[in-house]
Formats: sequence, C-alpha cells, structure tokens
Amino acid sequence: MVTFLVFATIVLLFVVLVLIARAQELTADLRDGKVSFHNQSKWNGYFMLGFLVFMFVGSAMCFKILTPVMLPEAASEHGVKTDFLFNITMLIIGIVFVLTQIALFWFAYRYNESHGHDSYFYPHNNTLEVVWTVIPSIVLTGLIAMGMYEWMHIFDPNARDKKMMVIEATGKQFNWMLRYSGKDGKFGERIIDQKHVSPTNELGINWEDPKSHDDFMADKLYLVKNKPVLMKLGAQDVLHSFFLPHFRVKMDCVPGIPTEFYFVPTMTTEEMRTYLQTQPWWQTINPETGQPRWQTFKYELACAELCGKSHYGMQRDVVVVEQKEYDEWLAKQTPMYVPTVAETAPAETPVVDSSKAEEKKPTAMLGKK
Amino acid sequence: METATAAHTDHHADVHGHEEHHHEETFLTKYIFSQDHKMISKQFLITGIFWGIVGGLLSVLFRLQLGWPNETFPFLESFLGKWAEGGKISQEFYYALVTMHGTILVFFVLTGGLSGTFANLLIPYQVGSRDMASPFINMLSYWFFLGAGVVMFFSFFIQTGPASGGWTAYPPINGLRDTAVNLGSGLGFDLWILGMTLFIVSALLGGLNYIATVLNMRTKGMNMFRLPLTIWALMFTAVIGVLSFPALLAGCVLLEFDRLLDTSFYLNNIIINGNLLGYKGGSPILFQHLFWFLGHPEVYIIILPAMGLVSEVLATHSRKPIFGYKAMVFSILAILVLSFIVWAHHMFVTGLNPNLGAIFTLFTLLIAIPSAIKVFNWIGTVWRGKVRLSSANLFAIGFVSMFISGGLTGIILGNSAIDIQLHDTMFVVAHFHIVMGVSAFFGMFAGVYNWFPRLYGRYMNETLGLIHFYITLIGAYAIFFPMHFMTGLPRRYYTYANFETFNNFNFLAEFISVAAIIVFLGQVLFVVNFFYSIFKGRKVEVEKTVDGHDYGNPWGTTTLEWTSPIERLHGNWPGDIPPVHRWPYDYSVNGREYIPQTEPLKPGEVPHE
Repeated sequence: MVTFLVFATIVLLFVVLVLIARAQELTADLRDGKVSFHNQSKWNGYFMLGFLVFMFVGSAMCFKILTPVMLPEAASEHGVKTDFLFNITMLIIGIVFVLTQIALFWFAYRYNESHGHDSYFYPHNNTLEVVWTVIPSIVLTGLIAMGMYEWMHIFDPNARDKKMMVIEATGKQFNWMLRYSGKDGKFGERIIDQKHVSPTNELGINWEDPKSHDDFMADKLYLVKNKPVLMKLGAQDVLHSFFLPHFRVKMDCVPGIPTEFYFVPTMTTEEMRTYLQTQPWWQTINPETGQPRWQTFKYELACAELCGKSHYGMQRDVVVVEQKEYDEWLAKQTPMYVPTVAETAPAETPVVDSSKAEEKKPTAMLGKK
Repeated sequence: METATAAHTDHHADVHGHEEHHHEETFLTKYIFSQDHKMISKQFLITGIFWGIVGGLLSVLFRLQLGWPNETFPFLESFLGKWAEGGKISQEFYYALVTMHGTILVFFVLTGGLSGTFANLLIPYQVGSRDMASPFINMLSYWFFLGAGVVMFFSFFIQTGPASGGWTAYPPINGLRDTAVNLGSGLGFDLWILGMTLFIVSALLGGLNYIATVLNMRTKGMNMFRLPLTIWALMFTAVIGVLSFPALLAGCVLLEFDRLLDTSFYLNNIIINGNLLGYKGGSPILFQHLFWFLGHPEVYIIILPAMGLVSEVLATHSRKPIFGYKAMVFSILAILVLSFIVWAHHMFVTGLNPNLGAIFTLFTLLIAIPSAIKVFNWIGTVWRGKVRLSSANLFAIGFVSMFISGGLTGIILGNSAIDIQLHDTMFVVAHFHIVMGVSAFFGMFAGVYNWFPRLYGRYMNETLGLIHFYITLIGAYAIFFPMHFMTGLPRRYYTYANFETFNNFNFLAEFISVAAIIVFLGQVLFVVNFFYSIFKGRKVEVEKTVDGHDYGNPWGTTTLEWTSPIERLHGNWPGDIPPVHRWPYDYSVNGREYIPQTEPLKPGEVPHE
C-alpha cells in the first residue's frame, strides 16, 4: 500500500510539473509570440552563482564531515610516501578545481545575455594557448617524476631487505589461505599437478619435501613492526586481489601467475590504537559495539577484485606486533604436516580451510569444506 | 520545383541537377527499415533512452542494497521474485545488477545511444550530404544494435540470470562456464558475449560509414577546417572505435573458446575446491590487455562526441566563436593517439612489469594536457560572450564543470604509485562516473535539447528542461563528490558489514542512495518531456518560406543543418546542396549576430582560416 502511495504521488508530481511547464509555455507564447530567453538567462545567471556557492559549501562540508571518517594515516613505509603524493596532487588539483569552477560559473553569470552587452569576437590567442599548455605540462612532469620514482622504488627487487620475512597468501572462493614458512624460514615445495593437488591438499604441497614439515597456516596475518615482509600471492580459482587498506598494499592474485608485494609495516596494532585515541572521531562510540571506535580498531585484509557472490566477505584480521610477541605467537602455531596421517593415508593430509578461521588447530580442519 | 509538393519523397538531386524519382514510402520503410539518417538517428536515440531507463533502474536497485543493507523492501520481491526473496536483493542478483548496469550504460547508452544518435543526425546535415555514404549499411548498424540489445535484455529472463562477473568480463570468473563458480557465468555470459559481438558489428558498420561520409561526402567548399567541432569529434570517435573494437571482439571470441571448447587462452592451473582443472598455459592477464585495449579508448568513444556537442552548443549559445578552434581539433587528435597507449593504467596492480607501469603513468598523465586545453578553451568561449542560458547551454556548462571535477581526479589515479591504494575502490567509481558517465550524459542532454528542433521540428519544454538540469547537476554532485572520500572502500561490495575498517560510511551510502533515486526520477522527467514535446512541443518559428518549404533557425546557428527545411526531407535539401564559403564560427562578427557558412565572403573580407 505504501509502495502504491509513493508511486501514485510521484506520478501526480510529474503530471503537475508537466501542466506547469505547459502553462509556462503558453503564457510565453501569448506575451510576444516568440520566446525570448532574456528572463530565463537572467534567473539562471543567478542560479549559476548560487550553484557555485552551493558547490563550495558542499565540498567544505564533505571535508569537514568525511575526512575524519577516512582511513587513518598509512602504517607502512611506502604508504606514507604515496599518501604524501596523494595529498600534494590533491592540493594542486584542488586549486585548479576552485579556479576553473569559479571562472566557468562566474562567466556564465557575468556574461549572460540579460546584461544587454554585445558578444566579443575573439576566436583565439596563441600566447594564451601556449601558456595554458605549458603550465599544465610542467606541473604534470613534476607529478609524473615523483610518482614514477616512488613506484619504481616500491617494486625494486634490489631495494629489498635480505632479512625480510616471506608469507604466502592464496585467494580462493571465498577466503584467504595464509601460509607461514615455520621455524626453518623456508617454504615446502608446491607442485601443481593431479598427483599433488586434491581437496585435502588444495595448495599442492609436496609433503616429501622436508621443508614443508614445519609450514603452518595462520588464521590471522601476523606481521612484525619494522620488519620488511614479502607477500607471495596467488589464487586458486578466479582473480582475487590482496588488499591491506591501512598499509596501502594492493596486488592482484592471479590463478597460474605468481605475484608479490614487498612492504614494511611501521605501527603495531596497539600503537595505532594509541594514536587513534587522540583523534576526535575515533573517540566516538560505535553503536554496534558500544565502545569507543579506537578500542576495537584492527587492521584488516580484504579482497579487491570481484571474485563471485561472496566477494565482499573475504575478510581476515591483520595483527602487527613487536618481534617478541610475534615469536610467542609463532611458538604456538601447529604445523599442518601431521606425520602419521601423511604417511599412512595421503588422502587425509592436512587441509587448509581458512573459512574456519576461529578453529586454530589444523587437524580440526581436516577434510572440511 | 516539384520537390515542394511531397514531403516524404526520396530526393536524390545532386549538386548538378535534379533527377527525381518518387516512390511511395510505406510505414515499414519510413519508420522501421528506414535508410534515412534522421530516422535512424531517432531510432538510436529512443533505443538509447530505453536503455538509459533500464540501466538507471538497475543502479537504483543496487543503491537500495548499498544504502540500506539491513532493510528489506517487500515490493522488490513482487517484481523480482527469487532475485529478491523476502525483499532483499540476493548476492547473485546484486552482482548481476552492477555488471549489467555497467554494460548497458557504457555500451548501449553512451556508445550506441550517443554516437549513434548524433553521428547519424549531424554528420550528413553538417558536412552537407544527402545521407550517409551507405544508407543501407547505416540501417544495418541500427539493426545490429537493436539485436544486441534484444539479446542482452533476454538474458535477464533466463533461470541463471544475466552476466554477473563484472562489465569488464575478466576471466577466469567469466572464463569458466560453471554456475557453481558464478551464477551469471553460465548461459547469461554466453548471451553477454553474443550481445557484445552484435554490438561490435553495429559499432564497426556505423563507424566506417561515419568516417567515409565525413571524408568523401562534404559539400562544395567544405574543407576539413571548415567542419564544425561536432564533426571532428564524431569522426575521431569513429576512428577510435574502428581501431579498437576488433580487439575486444577477438578477446571475446577467445574467451568463448575457453568456455565452450575447453581451450586455455586465459586459463592456467585453475583449482576449484581442490580439484585441478585441465587448463594449462593461458594467462588471465592477456584478456585484460585485450579488453582494455578497447576499454580505455572506449571512454574516449564516450566522451569525444559529448565534447564535440558541447563545443558547438557553447559557441552557438554564447554567440561567440569557439575559442582556439584549431587547438580544439588538434587536442582531440592528441587524445585519439594517446587513448591507444594508456590502457594498462587499468592494470597497475595486476602484477605487470613495473617498468610498464611507469611508462603507462607517463602517457596517462600526458592525456591531461589536451584535456586541459579543451577545458580552458571552453571557459574562454563563455568569457565575454552573450550567453543564452537555455537548457541546452546549461547542460553544456554543466558538462564542463563535471569534466573538470572528474578529470582532475584522473591525475591522481593515473599515477601508479597512488593507484596502488585507490585501485578498485569507491574513489575510482566516483572518478569515472563523473568524468565519463555524468559528463557524457550532460553532453548528450545538451545535444538533445539543442537538436531536438532539428529532429522533430519542435522545441523541448524549457521549464521541464531547467528542472531536469538542476536536479541532475546538484544530484550528480551529491552522489559522486562525497563518494571520493570513501577512498579505501573496495567497490562491488554487497555490504561492508564484514569489515570493521569499511563499515563507517553507512550514513554516506544512505545519503548517496537517496540522491541517486532523486536523480533517477529527474531523468524520468526528461523522458516525459521528450515524448511530450514530440507531440505537443512548441513549434520551430518559420523565418521564411521558399518553394513551399518552411525554413527556420531556432538557435541562430551558422552550420548547415538549418539551411535544410524544418520538415525532415529524405535527402535533406529540396534543391541543390548549398556550398560553403566560411568556417562555422562566425558569431558576432562584422556587426552581425551570426553569418551562416553558406554566405559568400564579402569583397575584401578575410576568411578565418
């Protein structure tokens, strides 16, 4: 019923608008037989100015209300730099935005025909055109240079710290499989063929490789503050994208093609909370949890490439800790290799399903979909 | 001349004489299988409007989900059945909605609807030709377009629903013909491929025709630098289309091979639930290269016609020549060339070679230079004009405003280092909707309001036009400006509730949804105005009557389209095609408000060239 009423109201509104419009047209015809745009231009000139004001007030409100809600400052080394690049570009385009919009709408108001002036035949001016070609070119050259420098640095394999930790993340519908190399710091070999890949060994781990015996799957992505990390990325079924919004990290995970991303986390989860505690918006209460927002802050891992109906659900917690805490966590992890099971019944080799994230014991995950 | 007597006769009089052969047109040949460029233009426009409503409605549906993720809307179930059980749009249908919204608006409205309408209407009129180079191929172009639309529309009514793997059609999600992987990747995606194939045929037939007509069928005296900017833009658009659409067709054919014939062009080591499938050696990234080799030029296919229309509308209604005509032509050319070497900026984080990313950053940001030139020239055109703020011109001004706002954020996204964070987030959604979606719509509306009298001999209603304009301008900014602040939020999320990080913007999502619904209703108002004005609109004033033909010039334009009678004759001019003596922007010169292109130079007058 409500739906019907809403619908009827809208239809009625349209009819009224059309009738008004029709009346307007008829009266204009009666007045002078030929429609003059003089009055219309006059009023719309004022509207143009009005819109200009509205736009700037609206933009200012957006900045005031929305900026505090945005992601907090970057928690990685390169993220701070790309954020800086973002901000400086934003500043430049902000200036251009304000100047050009003012010029556009001001001219539309100032030179509308109701002022009774004549138009000025002014087809071109080479000096002006050279000026407004050269200035953007110079500014853009600067931005390109800064962007390229940063980009090449982020992906420069020679700039990597040799003591970095390596973590493997594999996307599948619809969760992340996070593999750590365990105590030896080396991953067991993966072989993608019919012999190795099976529902109980989705990653195709070669259990005969002793390096695989201490590898473990984690339910959360644990990182160490200031310790460089190389994410080795892959996907099982369709495209996924490994996205750590707080660290400004994103890289697609492509079935059959390995990708990677190297970065350095710079703030532990606790440090970030302490920082956010000082931010007014983060002090407000989150109605869902009933706590101040900073208290429940956590880093998260998301999928950023459409991968199917539950694309929006590929969430994992990310925890950044000091080395000591990390070592403690590491000691508690259980390798997924279970000797007896692996030797006697290969079909029941430990399986990794991170959809059961809360179940920490790998053996409890056996064979579950 | 006998020509005066029959409005609907076929005139093939050429410049040298008037050989006439009358033949009666039936309803079928006049309205359905018409080979008249003006009728085909109307067919494209009305089909485009239909698709515009459908595409807009889809966005309203998924905005309901995004704005109120915890609510149910029982009336949806009555319309959508199993797609909205209990009044809540299902996940599968949500992704079908976003996929088809993109496909329909990008291809069927802003490519077919926009280029199809205005290239057909304006090219023969403004270059001074009786029709397209091949009217028959032109007709085929429309019918393939309609066929493509029928196939796409049909896919909404099959059991597994339409394609739902994104309008970019990336494999493997769309490369596996398995509804367990993705419901829309079954028959729905086959139909998507078939529809797109027909669409590409249509675009190629149309494009070749447009190019041939502009190059070969200009009237006497119409050298290239006397062409209005609309024609330059539409021709370059067609060139881009002809060069880039085949890449997408090839990409789609190979994709269908992977799906139906188990080839491995795009697939390698696919593991579904622990079962290794037999695909070996393909690359999903290859498809992305093929797709974006069209996909990026495609955004210029969308925006260039709008730029051309806006240039013409701004000059006409400002009663002032377009500022920097040649700079405008060469900047379109620069955009054309650059548009082919920037595609990989859509793929910065696919793991492509970082050196490649750097090169594509360079070219991408370079494209800002011709775009900036164009913006400054438009503003320069309004400056010291005698600006008539009609609906058409307001939309043209709105276009410039939108193009600035959306174009500037492109400088951020084109920079690969910053794009790492912003890629596939709502910031991108905001950027491309403003710069290519909304802008192109503004250009299209400017064109429709301006050339409606040419299409139907009547004006559109100005009052409704103004209401439509302000709703659209304010509403579009209300939707997409705040969306930029959702920088870290991934796009194509059904709900953000699973993430603490993203779950803070629900109030904004709701605001955007309300604005989107209002803007949609505003567009319905446009449609009402359109059909109302076809039948009841104010008629174009007759300025003179020659040989029984009424002539008018509603906006006082210099270009050739209004040297043809108000009624739409097949063949456009009852007598000879008028020759051209000057450039198209002689506004407010020599003490005259405007001088038509057909008027010979006065003794001693220096042409503007």
